[in-house]
Amino acid sequence: MTPAEWGIVALALAGAFFGGVAAVGLVRLPDVYTRSHAASKSDTLGAILTVAAAALALQSGLSTAKSVFLLLFMFITNPTAAHAVARAAQDQGIEPWTADEGDD
Amino acid sequence: MSTDDAGRNAGDADGAAGPDAADSPDADGDEAAPGLYVESTIIMTTVRLVSPFILTFALFIMFHGADTPGGGFQGGVIAGSVVMMLAFAYGIDSTRQWLDGRVIAALASGGVYVFVGIGLGAIALGGQFLQYAEYEALFGHAIKYAIELVELSIGAIVAAVAIGLFFLLAAGFDHAIEEDPS
Repeated sequence: MTPAEWGIVALALAGAFFGGVAAVGLVRLPDVYTRSHAASKSDTLGAILTVAAAALALQSGLSTAKSVFLLLFMFITNPTAAHAVARAAQDQGIEPWTADEGDD
Repeated sequence: MSTDDAGRNAGDADGAAGPDAADSPDADGDEAAPGLYVESTIIMTTVRLVSPFILTFALFIMFHGADTPGGGFQGGVIAGSVVMMLAFAYGIDSTRQWLDGRVIAALASGGVYVFVGIGLGAIALGGQFLQYAEYEALFGHAIKYAIELVELSIGAIVAAVAIGLFFLLAAGFDHAIEEDPS
């Protein structure tokens, strides 16, 4: 395998790992704030790494450029959406989970 | 905030919400001002930055639908989502004021008219419904132009219906409250 192929595999694996971390966080964490925290940060990183792997693998000008645009806009919009969700939750008066009140 | 309004309206209908209404006069005064109900600089800036790109992408999807995945339906939904994004960032009421209901109705019905007009025009020229080849006698590349026009009209219909449904859903709660006592 060439170095570029190793890079593609490493990026895709890292993206899958962070996507899995986001999924575990979404299921296991206790309330909306921590869940949106997991979903926004790890999920954005996982998606971006995967798209970067795709951009490397395509190797043709136009498709790579489209992937880079996708990556850029995902980087902007994904955290903003999480911010909007958390802000709406705070606006609705949802109390953040704290360690001393929850047993499960 | 809309739940507060709804609660107040429902309370008035019951005629038994005196203490509740007296509890929060300040909040009611704030909510009376239309628009800017989110007031998040992050959301507003992102929406302002991203909206033109999404509209361009919607048009790209519509125009490319003839020979790649995509088309009027997908592009129309993307174009409609721009308006929903504006509503989330700048407030649903101010967006409804900005985008008049007549514009939405004109988009939807105009799309239908363009679609049917292109279809029936082919019949008028001696072909069948939506047989684009009949237009070749009038101007060159007629098949491609006709397909793109049909995709654009479908996109206009879908975008207008999506926006209209969104506004109806957003307004539905108040209307339901209004209709309740009668």
